[in-house]
Amino acid sequence: MKQQSKFSTHQQHEQDAELHAAKKAGLEFDSVEQLLRHDAAQTAVPQGIARRLGESIEKPGVPTRSWWRRLLE
Amino acid sequence: MGVEILMNEVGVLPQDSDSAGHHVLPDEFEDFYNRHSRAIYYLALRFLGDSQKAEDATHDVFLKAARHLDQFRGEASARTWLYKIAINHCRNLQQSWHNRHMFPSSDSPVWETTAGNESPLRILETKELGCRIQTALDAIPPEYRLLLLLVSDEELSYEQVGTLTDQSVDAVRGKLHRARKAFVAAFAKTE
Repeated sequence: MKQQSKFSTHQQHEQDAELHAAKKAGLEFDSVEQLLRHDAAQTAVPQGIARRLGESIEKPGVPTRSWWRRLLE
Repeated sequence: MGVEILMNEVGVLPQDSDSAGHHVLPDEFEDFYNRHSRAIYYLALRFLGDSQKAEDATHDVFLKAARHLDQFRGEASARTWLYKIAINHCRNLQQSWHNRHMFPSSDSPVWETTAGNESPLRILETKELGCRIQTALDAIPPEYRLLLLLVSDEELSYEQVGTLTDQSVDAVRGKLHRARKAFVAAFAKTE
């Protein structure tokens, strides 16, 4: 009986955890700011930026992309 | 002075070492970049609505910062200083000839960048949500868009947002109320 009770408690914990996960996956937000914070957290910074930046920092004074290239792209 | 303050900032886990694990930025700049790059990239991405432009803008903002570290006096936080550079840069881009005359290509991968270690379902969800957020942000005035993006950064106070947008705290609060309403209405239309 006691064992069954333990099992039920364990099951309840699992159900609670699933419910919590489902609620989280439901993506409900209390405010616009909270929504944007979530979006920002999901947005990865492209790896290439750091590499380009490192190269640009090593070449002081050299513009990374000329005005005409920006115009054409 | 400014450089010391910047370099003393608490760093985060390096996320921008290359795939072989080599550091691609000067050591003294890497922590600074890792700490602020997500915030600056996100602002540029959602303000400009174009991932390639956001990538270029983030690069340019940090390059300017690297070259003008001596001008940072520590009166504002490093985040505020970077945002100031980023806002000016994004506004200039928006006012440029290119932006006024060209339209982004429909296959521009704006929604393709999501954080790693996610299940496919989660990525699909995130893509859809990101798409709706961008559509809603594009539908509201740029002033409201910028305000919402700035106040969503928990590192910024209303005073700092006011300084960045050249207005009083009361004005920030008033416009923020309208900005939220405008966003919610625009977001509802994306369903």
